[in-house]
Amino acid sequence: MKTKLFLLLAAALVLASPMFAQGGAAPAADNHHWIWIASGFSMAIASGLCGLAQGKAVAAACDAMGRNPGAAAAIRFALILGLVLIESLALYTFAIIFLKIS
Amino acid sequence: MEHDLWVTALLNRFLAGPANAALSVAGMRPEDPAHPWANYVAMEILVALIIVVLFALLRPRLSMDRPGKFQHIFELVYNFLHGQTDDVVGPAGQPYLAFFGTLFIFILFGNLIGLIPTLESPTMFVPVPFGCALATIVFYNLVGIQQQGIWKYILHFTGPVWWLAWLMFPIEIISNLARPLSLTVRLYANMFAGENVTMAFAGIVPLLLPIPFMALHIFVGLLQAYIFALLTMIYVAEALPHPEH
Repeated sequence: MKTKLFLLLAAALVLASPMFAQGGAAPAADNHHWIWIASGFSMAIASGLCGLAQGKAVAAACDAMGRNPGAAAAIRFALILGLVLIESLALYTFAIIFLKIS
Repeated sequence: MEHDLWVTALLNRFLAGPANAALSVAGMRPEDPAHPWANYVAMEILVALIIVVLFALLRPRLSMDRPGKFQHIFELVYNFLHGQTDDVVGPAGQPYLAFFGTLFIFILFGNLIGLIPTLESPTMFVPVPFGCALATIVFYNLVGIQQQGIWKYILHFTGPVWWLAWLMFPIEIISNLARPLSLTVRLYANMFAGENVTMAFAGIVPLLLPIPFMALHIFVGLLQAYIFALLTMIYVAEALPHPEH
């Protein structure tokens, strides 16, 4: 049973090899200078909003830990999970910027 | 042309022929036949070798009566993963602990190896986190199909109540398709950003200013490995049959 599962997994992973054939050319339009300005603003907005969101998450976690120190471990777990998921939103913007400034 | 690390240069010098042959079997051609090995492939293999050697050194030192320090460290890691699996997936998830543990250890070592001066994190390049995310997606879907049967598994996307199925099904399908993207981008962007921030600050004050950023990078590497494994556990927990239905 486990062998079959692993064999299926290996077969599916081998099928993913066309992924390496990716290629992509960014078209250089006449007004490509806007990319620099837009990327600066978009990263700043994304980081600012995610900073606000993470601040709210940390503030709520600190309040809860102050109210109920016994539950600190569970609250800390939820806090870390929430912070990482919010962080990843800012990083999506970063990734798009690096994909477009190629 | 990307600068080759010493490991990649070694592989390109001695194993370029077999690499080109293997690529042509799969129908692909490298951009530069003299350098078929990419940096991230060489680093991935190095990480895997380090892990294998580490566990090969651990195995003879395992003992029930007098555990050594090595064994204690690995018992810590194992107990941590075992506890997380129990919390998140429940006792039904224990057979899959090997997969979660492998992902965690591989991504952890992959993230941390970038701190060694002449080496780079393989997780800093898109194909490696994408590979891990693809393995996760295929794995949890296969587990769901294996445990529930394919029709019940597809039906679980419809949600808890039948009169919302028309809404829940597209939402669930789209969110499932977004999972490999989010797993990949989260890990890749964190590692890539950490490296770039260190480089940027190294350009300002060469040896001192990068130090706090490298410390942050270590913490982020640990955290991202843990989060990847945790999200995998959550997805497998969703795919397993729930007793309350």
